[in-house]
Amino acid sequence: MEGKACIKVRELSKQYKGSNYLAVNKLSFEISEGEIFGLLGPNGAGKSTFLSMLSGLIKPTSGEVEIFDHKLTTDTEPLKKIIGVVPQDIALYPTLTGRDNLLFIGRMYGLDGKELKDRVDNYLTRFGFDKNSKNAVKTYSGGMKRRINLIGGVLHNPKILLLDEPTVGMDVQTRASTMEFLNEINETTRMTIIYTSHDMEQANTFCDRIGIIDRGQILKMGTPDGLLASEDCKDLEALFLKLTGRKIRD
Amino acid sequence: MYRLKATFIKEYKLLSVDKTGITILFIMPVFLVFVMTLIQQQAYKSMSQSGVPVLLVNRDRDSLGTAVERGFSNFPVAQLTVDHGERFPNEDAIKKEIIKGKYTVALYIPANATKILEQNVEGIMGKMFNKDLAVAATSSKVEIGIIIDPTANKSMVIAVSGRLKQYLADVKTNVLFNIMGNKIAGMMHVEIKGGMPQEDIFSYKENYAFRDNRSSYQPDAVQHNIPAWAIFSIFFIVLPLGGGIINERSEGLFIRMRTLPGSYLSLLSGKLLAYFFIALIQFMLVILLGVYLLPLVGLPVLNIGPHLLPLILLTVVLAMAAVGYGLFIGTLFDTPQQSAVFGGISVLIMSALGGIWVPMNIMPEVMQKISSCSPLNWALRGYYELFIKGGDWQAIQGEVIKLLVFFFVCLAVSYRLFKHKTSSN
Repeated sequence: MEGKACIKVRELSKQYKGSNYLAVNKLSFEISEGEIFGLLGPNGAGKSTFLSMLSGLIKPTSGEVEIFDHKLTTDTEPLKKIIGVVPQDIALYPTLTGRDNLLFIGRMYGLDGKELKDRVDNYLTRFGFDKNSKNAVKTYSGGMKRRINLIGGVLHNPKILLLDEPTVGMDVQTRASTMEFLNEINETTRMTIIYTSHDMEQANTFCDRIGIIDRGQILKMGTPDGLLASEDCKDLEALFLKLTGRKIRD
Repeated sequence: MYRLKATFIKEYKLLSVDKTGITILFIMPVFLVFVMTLIQQQAYKSMSQSGVPVLLVNRDRDSLGTAVERGFSNFPVAQLTVDHGERFPNEDAIKKEIIKGKYTVALYIPANATKILEQNVEGIMGKMFNKDLAVAATSSKVEIGIIIDPTANKSMVIAVSGRLKQYLADVKTNVLFNIMGNKIAGMMHVEIKGGMPQEDIFSYKENYAFRDNRSSYQPDAVQHNIPAWAIFSIFFIVLPLGGGIINERSEGLFIRMRTLPGSYLSLLSGKLLAYFFIALIQFMLVILLGVYLLPLVGLPVLNIGPHLLPLILLTVVLAMAAVGYGLFIGTLFDTPQQSAVFGGISVLIMSALGGIWVPMNIMPEVMQKISSCSPLNWALRGYYELFIKGGDWQAIQGEVIKLLVFFFVCLAVSYRLFKHKTSSN
């Protein structure tokens, strides 16, 4: 870990109403400013629940998260302004153009006028939307929707970016370009990125540190190389299966 | 404020790309008001002008039968056919004709009805002056038959039978006075010249209780129907609004929305504002219809009264109430189907209770009490005050406050409901 911790997770738990088990079970760890942290786990491991708590969508049952010394449970609204979220589902208005969707998201963060338009246009150009930014999102391919979805998360230059499986459904070129963009933005702005994925290879190359989570608990955490060395595994997938088992999850 | 601007622009763009949807939102209320006003005006006309088919079988051919015949020939509600017993000798024959649907009401005056009436009046006189005569003369009654089509409009039947009773009473009075006059003349040994004077000793003048001093103005169906159906159609905004909120909530869009800064209500503020403006435009179009279009098809011009500011204020709070109810429906339910069924039917019920379909004063007492809880009723009372009674701000302030409270209650309940729903997971 390099730099100062910007996210401090303390004994964080979440039990959904009507459920008998903890979806997130007393998680405690820290994430440094500018770090790319990958959270890997099988379905139902608690990844999305953790991201949902971090983005203020659901409240923890117990524990606390401190982000830049602000408590998430009490300072949710101001913290939302410095967090960008790229949800797993496409969260766009299908009948609006990609540009209009981004203008809306930007305005919701208080951006306006020329600054907003320039930012939106720059991102659209950067992601190859020169010709079709004014077409309705419903006419886009899955990969194009994902790119607009991603721009929506970074438009307001957040300090922390939460990515929930951002490259699902993208073709190889788009995926490579997206990861390149995320690396670039992380390097240039020191944006902290928390990322979940089922793509082990991508996680291996993209993340500074990885936490493997299952049944709401972190099983292992460390740099990709460090984890492989400590568990004597040839790749991340082997390590993942070793830690979480081969049983199919729902 | 920037969230309101952002969500309003977004909603405006969403609506403007759905050209069919926005056209329907504006055209259908106008069309509804146009059709309903036309139908109700025609229904009123058909009763008051073209008349309902009435068969009068007059087998009396004396003063009673002649008086009824004369009276009904000038009665605008009735389209009279007279028979003196040639085609319809008895009530059975008349019933068959009614069943065929040729007539809605038939009146049957039996033969010698006047004579029997005179005998009865003699009997009444005898009771007053001579007991022996009374016993002899009150042996039978004149029985006038009223045969009614069971599907006939009840109010029309009441109008016809009321008219009949009026003529019968007139004839009875005439006969009574004639006999009494003759008796008194006999006792006083004087001669009566001519019959009973026919001049009316009463005159009637309809005076409407307007709040202002208008005198020549007469309320009509347009004044009643336009505000009533306009309120009804504005409240139907709960369907697209509620459905839109649910779609947004359920389509993953709301997940991003909720990760943006701002409360539930601020995230929906632009949507509510957009639909608020739609409701205002709907109302304005309906007013324009009443003022400019309806007169072109022969209906009276809508009179919106002299108080424009109270009218705007009432319309603003009506639109707020409708939008608030849409928010409540959109928050309460989880699928557009649920909200469409509940929203649609609840607006129908509230409109029925509110006096949109039938006037409140003909409802049972219990329903009238419930009716006064309907926001549509508050709005309707307000518009009647402004459009018909000539009321001003003071006359509508109670209704304005109630609609405003309804709006804020809807906001508060929706907010709590959303909190409850999101905290329950």
